[in-house]
Amino acid sequence: MHEWSIAYSVVKTLTENFNKKISKVTLVIPLFSFLDIEILKEAFNELKKENPIVENAELEVKIQEPTFRCRNCNREFKFSDIQQQVGEVKNSYGEEYPLHLMPELLPAFIKCPYCGSHDIEAIGQEIYIEKVEEYGAVERVS
Amino acid sequence: MEPLRELAKEKLKDKKVIAIMSAKGGVGKSVISALISLSLPSDVTLIDLDIHTMAIAKLFGVENVPLEVSKEGIEPVKIRNVNLISLAGIVRDRYVILPGRNQSNVMKELIAYSSIKGKYVVFDLPPGLGDEILVLEELSDFKPIVVTTPSKVSLKVVKYLLDYLNERKKKALVVVNMSYFTCNDQRVNLFGNYNGDVNLPIDPNLEDYIGKIQEYEGEVKKVIEKELIPQFM
Ligand SMILES: [Zn+2]
Repeated sequence: MHEWSIAYSVVKTLTENFNKKISKVTLVIPLFSFLDIEILKEAFNELKKENPIVENAELEVKIQEPTFRCRNCNREFKFSDIQQQVGEVKNSYGEEYPLHLMPELLPAFIKCPYCGSHDIEAIGQEIYIEKVEEYGAVERVS
Repeated sequence: MEPLRELAKEKLKDKKVIAIMSAKGGVGKSVISALISLSLPSDVTLIDLDIHTMAIAKLFGVENVPLEVSKEGIEPVKIRNVNLISLAGIVRDRYVILPGRNQSNVMKELIAYSSIKGKYVVFDLPPGLGDEILVLEELSDFKPIVVTTPSKVSLKVVKYLLDYLNERKKKALVVVNMSYFTCNDQRVNLFGNYNGDVNLPIDPNLEDYIGKIQEYEGEVKKVIEKELIPQFM
């Protein structure tokens, strides 16, 4: 549901920061945002028509699996270790469950699988533009 | 590059942003945020960033109303001229505990993903000097309104907040809540003397309006309308 907002923000970020035509942009999104990539691309392709800088740009989406570290017991864990917890949150809220609306709320809804603490640091849960390729040049930004 | 940050900035562009802050909790910041929003002359989006208490939703009696989502994002709950965005509408009846760094990300995300309506955006910030102020500085040129009570403890800590805002060249309006009580047409300063830019009276009836703050038209609101609102219009 936030696909259009994100597509809009990518187009906006690109048109404000670049003045040469862009051929490709790589966007990294976290796994648990459960964004619909098809809708995201569709929205991007629709919105890019508004500006010549991006009109020929291809959107590549990379899905990043975040890793977690518990600041209480210092153990690291993966998304697969908390998948069941996320599933339970999803079941208790139904369709409009909070992690879809606000992925950043994740630490409020999950506990460390080892010690139960909520003091969890998520690494790689941001949405960011990893790479932008311009026609005739390659530029890296992150 | 962080597209969400850009999006949050974009959402606040061309809006009058008012940030209600306090140095410590329990000074009535949320009530004042609600009353300021209700006193503004046109539509306003009120965003509750005090995620640990989510008091705003309780004041308006909408804590169990889930937020809807449209193509523009998370849709606020509309009460009179106030479009309310609160995490209470997202997490509903559950505690929210978030490590510090996540709080500022949640804040950016909440702004970026919300459908912000009207000319004004009022933020009810959590008490103290935290990430929220830093993030808000990145996103907008806001007008700070600092809420305190006349008590010595509150005034001592409010000084730090004002020092910080001064350093950032932001001119804050100081609102002294529960400043005086009117008895036989005389002002009695119950908790000490302190003059802010605006001094608000004590109204014992205000308690009765928790859950329906939109219906309150008493003394505190009158002073806000008359003395506070014109100062930042
Ligand atoms: Zn742990």
